[in-house]
Amino acid sequence: MSTQARTRSRELRDARAAAERRQKKRNRAITAGGGVIIGCLLIAIVVSLINAAGSGGSRITAASQDKAVAPAIATAAGALAVGDAAAPVKLEVYLDYMCPFCGRFEQANSTELDRLVADGAVRLELYPLAFLDRMSSGSRYSTRTANATATVADRAPGALLAFNTALFAHQPAEGSSGLSDDEIAALARNAGVPQDVADAFTDRLFQPWVETSTAAVFKTGIEGTPTVKINGEVFTGDLYTAGPLTAAVTAAEGR
Amino acid sequence: MAVLLARLHGLRHSDAWLFGTMLVSACLSLAASFVLSVDALRLAADPGTSLSCNINAVISCGTVATSWQAQLFGFPNAFLGLVAEPVVITIAVASLGRVRFPRWFMFAAQVVYTLGVIFAYWLFSQSMSAIGALCPWCLLVTVSTTLVFATLTHVNIRDGNLFLPSRAQAAAARFVDADLDAIAVAIWILVLILAVVTKYGAALFG
Repeated sequence: MSTQARTRSRELRDARAAAERRQKKRNRAITAGGGVIIGCLLIAIVVSLINAAGSGGSRITAASQDKAVAPAIATAAGALAVGDAAAPVKLEVYLDYMCPFCGRFEQANSTELDRLVADGAVRLELYPLAFLDRMSSGSRYSTRTANATATVADRAPGALLAFNTALFAHQPAEGSSGLSDDEIAALARNAGVPQDVADAFTDRLFQPWVETSTAAVFKTGIEGTPTVKINGEVFTGDLYTAGPLTAAVTAAEGR
Repeated sequence: MAVLLARLHGLRHSDAWLFGTMLVSACLSLAASFVLSVDALRLAADPGTSLSCNINAVISCGTVATSWQAQLFGFPNAFLGLVAEPVVITIAVASLGRVRFPRWFMFAAQVVYTLGVIFAYWLFSQSMSAIGALCPWCLLVTVSTTLVFATLTHVNIRDGNLFLPSRAQAAAARFVDADLDAIAVAIWILVLILAVVTKYGAALFG
């Protein structure tokens, strides 16, 4: 082998070794960067877990400690009562404004219910619950609407049923962020709720009441919405067509 | 220290580790698919269970299972897991028994599993954004599918099964040899966890 060839081969070898070193150095830098990213992610996860635990916990204690103010027409059990207190039939409806089947129930029966209440045959007790907050992409639609209904019940009880019907008529899809506060207030005004009452929705006056009564209702063994009780008995018939419920109410009335 | 690192490095690229991880992940995935399939059948037999909205379930399989995304192809998605995961388990077990599959076979497995991963992540994103509910078995599928994909890709790069041009193959091999794929997978899984925790953290504790 000539000296020239030998030099060339050594140069080649050196170059390859240098390239390898560069590669190694780069890999080490990438590994370090990756390690930093992993560390940051871990910290972010822990922080967000602590935040979540903190806010979750404080919400529960806030709700249980605050003496929740109840709407004027609220029952002790957490319902908004409409109609003649001496009516022969007590009809309890457990609902969540985000629950699609509650919407179907309302669509099928609202006309009949309005009539039965107006006739003095039924005392209607609405339980606006807020347990589907997780279905509204963080906007807590169930809580906001339940609070709005409670506000109307407190200050403009005459418009309660109309507002209830309007909320279901414009029910948002499950999983969407729901109607905005302004849209809810607009629905209320159209249903005959005075402006100042609709404006008070955003004060969230009855949110603690909604929270405590939702918790109280689930402790009584209610398992889902819509649940309808006639004089304390769960109605097991068809909730989604007009007629069967009216018939059951009429039967209970006759007894 | 250096010896220990070298040994760890060797273990991570060994058949036992790779196919062992693949086997465990595929078994988890299969178990989750099985539970989800049974749930889907139960829901189909008694739609009443989904009629009333689920309560006290911050984490709700029912909500996810009744979404249209859960039956994209007209049957419960989990059936796909019941079909595909046993194949992965077979590959993993056979490979642990020193069977060598032909290149085209492993390449085909990679292609099909990549489609599976894409589907799993589409479902995950739907569950996060559109459905708005969390389903623990679905999350298990997401994570274990990721791990199977990672190990399968690792094996195929190591053994040169991917029919890559030689420069790309060399680069991929260097990437894996430097254990950068492990870092990538760790970041990937942590991002997943962070996404779930930030979106649903309050619900988990509420």
